[in-house]
Amino acid sequence: MTYLSRIRINPLRAESRRLLANPRAMRGAVMGGIPDAPQGDRVLWRLDADNPRRPHLFVLTSAKPDWTHIVEKAGWPDADGEHAAVRDYAPLLDQIAVGREFAFRLTASPVQNTAAPMSPTPTQAARLAAAADSDSKRVRGFRLGHSTASAQLNWFLTRTARWGFDVPTARTDAPAPGLADSRTADDARNTEVGTEDAGPARDIRITASRRHSFVKNGKGPRVTIQSATFEGRLQVTDPAAFVTRLLEGIGPSKAYGCGLLTLAPLRSRTTLQ
Amino acid sequence: MTTPPPATPAPQGTTTEAVLLLRLAGPLQSWGSRSAFNRRETNPEPTKSGVIGLLAAAAGMAREDPLDELTPLSLGVRVDQPGTLLRDYHTVSDFRDRPLLQAGVSAKGLQKPTSPAKYTHVTTRYYLQDAVFVAAVAGPRDLLCTLDQAVRAPSFPLALGRRSCPPTQPLALGLREGRLEHVLRKEPWQASRRAREQYAAQCGREQELDRPLYPACIDRSVTIEDPEGDDVLHDAPVSFDPYARSFTSRRVRHGWLSIPTGFPRPDTTDDGADEAAGHDPFALLGW
Repeated sequence: MTYLSRIRINPLRAESRRLLANPRAMRGAVMGGIPDAPQGDRVLWRLDADNPRRPHLFVLTSAKPDWTHIVEKAGWPDADGEHAAVRDYAPLLDQIAVGREFAFRLTASPVQNTAAPMSPTPTQAARLAAAADSDSKRVRGFRLGHSTASAQLNWFLTRTARWGFDVPTARTDAPAPGLADSRTADDARNTEVGTEDAGPARDIRITASRRHSFVKNGKGPRVTIQSATFEGRLQVTDPAAFVTRLLEGIGPSKAYGCGLLTLAPLRSRTTLQ
Repeated sequence: MTTPPPATPAPQGTTTEAVLLLRLAGPLQSWGSRSAFNRRETNPEPTKSGVIGLLAAAAGMAREDPLDELTPLSLGVRVDQPGTLLRDYHTVSDFRDRPLLQAGVSAKGLQKPTSPAKYTHVTTRYYLQDAVFVAAVAGPRDLLCTLDQAVRAPSFPLALGRRSCPPTQPLALGLREGRLEHVLRKEPWQASRRAREQYAAQCGREQELDRPLYPACIDRSVTIEDPEGDDVLHDAPVSFDPYARSFTSRRVRHGWLSIPTGFPRPDTTDDGADEAAGHDPFALLGW
C-alpha cells in the first residue's frame, strides 16, 4: 500500500524555520513519521511553497505514516481543518493507462556527469590533480547541476520517453492570417541552427529554480543541489515505467525533496468569445 | 396543466427589502426608448418604463394612475440570451382607400388630411428575436410581494415592450433576499435549452473535445441602476397618462457577472478559487 500525505506547515514557528531552511532537517522529520520503514525503501517528499504563508509538505510512503510530531512542532495543532491528510495512492495508480493526460508537478535536480569540468571548484581541482598523479586509468566523473532553464528543460524533455510519458505540445491559438508563414520560417531557422529548444513549444514550464546548500549535522562537507520545479501536462505512453517513476521518483537528490512526481486533473479552460 | 407557481415566502418583519425576479422571454420583444413617427426602434435590453409598465398592467393600474409607488423601485437587467435584431417592413393605409390623416389638428380639433394626399405610410419596426432577460426589481418587500402575485394573475394582458410581444412562461421567478447584484449573480442562467446546448457544444469545440463541455459558470452582462453609475438612460417613467406622458433619466452602471449555468453535472472550471489552489495532487485520489 502506498500513501500520499499532505502536511500543513506554519512558517512562523522556530521548528518550521529549521525545517524549511535545511532539506536535511526536513528529511529527518519526514523519516520520523514512518515507524517500520523497510530497509532500502524510498520515501519521496516535496515542499510546495507556492503559498508562502502556508507551505505544504507532500510525502509519498509505502506504509501508513503518522505526522503528529510535525503538526505539534511546526504546524497549527489546535487549528481547524485537516492538519495532515493521508490518502491511499491506489485510486491514482489504477487510472494510469496509455494515452491518459494529467497535469503534473515535479521538483527535480537536473544534473549532468562530466569527467572534465570546465571550471573546477577547489575540491574538484584537488581530485583531478590527485588522479593525474596516481597511475589509475579511470577518473570518476563529477556530478554537476544544470543551472540554466534551457539546460534544465532539455534534461527533462530528453528523458521523458524513458520515464514512460510524453509532454504534448502546448495548445496555442491558430496564428493570425499572414503570420503562419513567418512562424514556419522561425521554426526552420531554429532547426537549422540546432538549438536545444527547436520545434514547437511543449506544454511545460519551470516555476521555480533554486540552489540549496547545507551541511550535515553542522559539520562535514557541504551538500549543494540545484533543484527545478517543472509544471505542465503529460501523456502516459508506458504505464509500467510511469508507475515505477511515480513510486520511486525521478532524478537524483531524492532524499532532499527532489523526485516526487505528483499528478492532478487537467484544468478545463472556459473562455467564451 | 402546468405546475402551480412556487409559493412566495411569507413576509418577515425583520427584512423589509426584497428583490423580485422576472424572466423576460418571448419570440419577439421590443423595448423602445426614443421611438417616434415611422421608425420604431428597440433597445438591446429592457427599459425601466417597459418593466414598470408591465408591473403596473399586472397590478391593474389605469394609465392615468400615479406611479409614485413604482418609480422608486430600482431595476437590474441581466442579458441571459442577447437574441438577434429583426427589422419589420410595415405599411399603414386606410382600408376605405381614403388619404391618411396628418398629426396636426384643425380648429375643430379634428385631424387634417395629408396634403398632397398620402395613401400609404412606410414604417419600420425593430424587434429582438429569441432573447431572454432576467429583470430584478428591488424595493419594499410588501409591495414586491403584491406585484409577484399580480404578475402570476395579471389584470391586463402582459407584453414585452409592445402589445404584439406576449411573454412566455414562466414570467415570475419569485422573491429573493439580498442585494440586487448578489441576487442576479446567484440566479441560474435562464437561456433556452437549445441555446444552452449550443453553448456547451461550442465550449467543447473550443477545447477540441469530441463531446460538449458543460462549464459551471458563464459570464453575462448586466445593467444595474446605481446613483454613482457612469451611464445615463432616459427611460424612467414619470407618468403613463396618454395626455401627460413623460420620462426622466436615471443613472446606471454596466458590468459582467459570472453566473451559474445550471447544467445538471457541470465540468469544473478555472475560476479564481481554483487558480489560487494551484496543483492539487489529492484531486485524483477519489475525494
